[in-house]
Amino acid sequence: MEKDKKEDENTKKDENPLKVNRRHFFSQLSVGIGSLALGSLLIPDLFKGTGAAETAVQPLGIPHFAPKAKRIIYLFQAGAPSQFETFDYKPTLRKRMGEDLPASIRNGQRLTGMTANQDKFPLMPPAVDFKQHGKSGTYISDYFPHIAKIADDITVVRSMHTEAINHDPAITFFQTGSQISGRPSMGSWMSYGLGSENKNLPSFVVLTSRGKGNSQGLYSKLWSSGFLDSKHQGVLLRSGKDPVLYLNDPDGLSRSDKRHLLDEVSALNKMHHVETGDDEIESRIAQYEMAYRMQMSVPDVMDISKEPESIIKLYGEDCQVPGTYAANALQARRLAENGVRFIQLYHQGWDQHGNLPDEMAGQAKDVDQASAALVMDLKQRGMLDDTLVVWGGEFGRSNYCQGKFDPKNYGRDHHPRAFSIWMAGGGIKPGLNYGQTDEFGYNVVENPVHINDFHATLMYALDLDHEQLTYKYQGRRFRLTDVAGTVVKDLLA
Amino acid sequence: MTNTVKNRWADYTVLGLSVFLIFCLLFESYIELPNVISWLGRWHPLVLHFPIVLLLIAIFLGLTGKTVPKLLLVIAVLSSLITAILGFFLGMDIPIKGDLLFWHQLLGGATALIAALWYGLDSMGLDKAVYTKVLQIILIGLIGFTGHYGGMVTHGEEFLAFPTEEPDDKIPENPIVYKDVVFRILDDKCVSCHNPNKQKGELVMTSFDKLLQGGENGPILKAGEPEESEMIKRLHLPLEDEEHMPPEGKNPLQDNEIAILEQWIALGASDTLRLNQLPQSEPLVSLIKEMMAPDPFEKWAKIPKVADSTLQNLGSDYLTVSRVASNTEALNVVIFPPPEYRSKTITDLKRIANNIVSLDVSRLPIGMPEIDVIATFANLEKLELDKTPVTDAEVEKLASLKKLVLLKIYDTKITDKSISTFKKLPDLKSLYLYSTEVSKNAVADLKKEKPNLLINDGIDKQTQAFFVETDSITDN
Repeated sequence: MEKDKKEDENTKKDENPLKVNRRHFFSQLSVGIGSLALGSLLIPDLFKGTGAAETAVQPLGIPHFAPKAKRIIYLFQAGAPSQFETFDYKPTLRKRMGEDLPASIRNGQRLTGMTANQDKFPLMPPAVDFKQHGKSGTYISDYFPHIAKIADDITVVRSMHTEAINHDPAITFFQTGSQISGRPSMGSWMSYGLGSENKNLPSFVVLTSRGKGNSQGLYSKLWSSGFLDSKHQGVLLRSGKDPVLYLNDPDGLSRSDKRHLLDEVSALNKMHHVETGDDEIESRIAQYEMAYRMQMSVPDVMDISKEPESIIKLYGEDCQVPGTYAANALQARRLAENGVRFIQLYHQGWDQHGNLPDEMAGQAKDVDQASAALVMDLKQRGMLDDTLVVWGGEFGRSNYCQGKFDPKNYGRDHHPRAFSIWMAGGGIKPGLNYGQTDEFGYNVVENPVHINDFHATLMYALDLDHEQLTYKYQGRRFRLTDVAGTVVKDLLA
Repeated sequence: MTNTVKNRWADYTVLGLSVFLIFCLLFESYIELPNVISWLGRWHPLVLHFPIVLLLIAIFLGLTGKTVPKLLLVIAVLSSLITAILGFFLGMDIPIKGDLLFWHQLLGGATALIAALWYGLDSMGLDKAVYTKVLQIILIGLIGFTGHYGGMVTHGEEFLAFPTEEPDDKIPENPIVYKDVVFRILDDKCVSCHNPNKQKGELVMTSFDKLLQGGENGPILKAGEPEESEMIKRLHLPLEDEEHMPPEGKNPLQDNEIAILEQWIALGASDTLRLNQLPQSEPLVSLIKEMMAPDPFEKWAKIPKVADSTLQNLGSDYLTVSRVASNTEALNVVIFPPPEYRSKTITDLKRIANNIVSLDVSRLPIGMPEIDVIATFANLEKLELDKTPVTDAEVEKLASLKKLVLLKIYDTKITDKSISTFKKLPDLKSLYLYSTEVSKNAVADLKKEKPNLLINDGIDKQTQAFFVETDSITDN
């Protein structure tokens, strides 16, 4: 009994972050006072509550105006869902079914290796019907009956365009602002600009799921922090009992032993930092501490057992199956509630080069209800006002058929010049239909939104100026939008 | 004996300086100053205080019938002459003189010369005559007016103006575009250099006629053609460009201000156009409306200052305190459920009670002690109490939060009794009130009393039912 109590006290002391014993105290006293005096000489504002102290409290991009959005949930549909079977309704494709795509419309667009050898590009109408929904009269295909219910909460942008025509450069471009990998991910930029709200969770979290459709790979470079401090890197939360690999302590290691271990490792790391001055060491120390706190916070966030029946029903029964899109969507809401700034979902399987009607119906079933439920759930919690939800893929798909011409079982190739996404909440005007494509759905004819513009707009919603949020690396300042991008103010409420 | 010699030197100096001053004033336009001399002019604002004080003392002694010490008079007169001459040098820097400067120079010169005349009369032994007294009285007037005009030249004409009862800087309801918007921008950013007194580039922007007249290179705006208007062109030049306006170091125009000037010129640069004469689709309308929108931080102007160190000390792993925006004292506090909760976490916030405008304590096991503290947060606008064990008793305390705009209190045990408290909150605009024990009738009653209150009572039953029926995944 007594021994237990003693151990308990030890644990308490050990858990104290300001662990200082008598020797520590005296050894640090001299250095402490000396460095204080030196510090005040070098940084005159040190004791005035501004200057150095300020940067510690306020993250870099602390907004100048109270921002509308505080966080982003990005529902990335990896593989590029076809706009013709989702949100861009083109009756002309049915009228001119099977006709060759006019050269005047294609206008020299380069093609992927998959259709470059086709002699004909027969126009293919969608195998699904469209209806107008909500007061906004937004056209949504019948694959998405649930999203149709939130038509007045979302804004569909039908005039997105990109330069990339293959998955990897395209998704890298969408996530990092550059087709060539190595730049920080969007989520990392937001984390760098806004800082974290909850110190027990990373500010950028990634959740992945996979549908039955044709998939393309996802690589951790998509959520890499690039040249930014590695604490801004996206943390992938896996499904199952180990959401973060190696986060749990091995059997037999108590939490106090862990604390003790961390203290000693941290002391060694600090010594190394003094020697080398490498700031990444400080990041590493901070990450060990974060992981220690995440041992408590992550299982709590991931545990959906306390969610009421009505919420489970709303997202669909599948949300109880870890690793599904529905489970991730519900998880995304819980992470948002817990102050995570950027929650990135990826759902794979949207690459329909063939067998499109079947595969898309399946993919849509995976995401439709949970996506809509997420928006509704956020709305009923009053969180849609400060959470920006984005749904979309990396590019569009061709209006012509890939492979054998069969209106019941066709494929569509990649298409960069026009595609559709939707956004909701967080300072975005609701119920808007923005941008237009030509009658073939091939080219944007009104209000084009380039990926750089999209990034600039997202940042603006968080009150980050895409031209001001920079990071100097290898002799020049980088930004998410690099040297381009215009905020699309028409999209903002 | 030495005294006389000294006086004679003084006589000659006063005479010499007087002649020089008269010469300067007469042949001003023919004079070109070397740099060093023009630099001497910069001393005018320093030196000018001596003659004012010394002359006034001398005059006071003279008028009260006491003898004016010779030395005092010598220094006073010499300093006034030097001041006048230095002032003349300084004035040479300014190409075009406005009315203020003209009068200041004339009166200043007169002051120095009349002071010299007094000295002359005094030296000739005529100091007891009546006209000395007349000169002294004239001098008082001259000193006063010279000083006043000089002050206006440096500090601006408004400097001594009586503060008007209420500085009305709000744009009126249906503004005249030129007078209430365009001129306001020009007045704010351009007029400090382009006014009748300074006239940089011979351009005056204080009146509509003068604005149309333009500057030394002709008109600066072309009605209907903003791209062809010199003023707009210069606003768009890169900041490093010599011709950029306002010049580097001055407060530049904001993007929306430039856009307003452009649109106004595009629409014909009229001085009578009113906002309501424009169709709503006109870009100028939204630009002006944006400008008329109230400053979001004005309401927080009276919130007491809080040091960043205080924020840092209050924050913890589970409690985030941050400014709503970098330039305000209004704070946002979010508390995440810690493993071991203590009410001190919230009661410690007393220190910043008046700074908190937004507080999130949802999911925390709070009770009366915490609510008692929260009820003192006079500036609280947004409160999240959802999923807490609060009851009607706690809610009753919240009636003191007169600025509350948003309240989230879903998933709690509150009942119809709380409705009367909600009615007492004058600014309440949104209320999240579902999964509570509040009855439908009570909600309807509240809606009736507060028609502008948005009550969120969860996802509507029909949609929820649709989602349950068509659970798209289970039939997969």
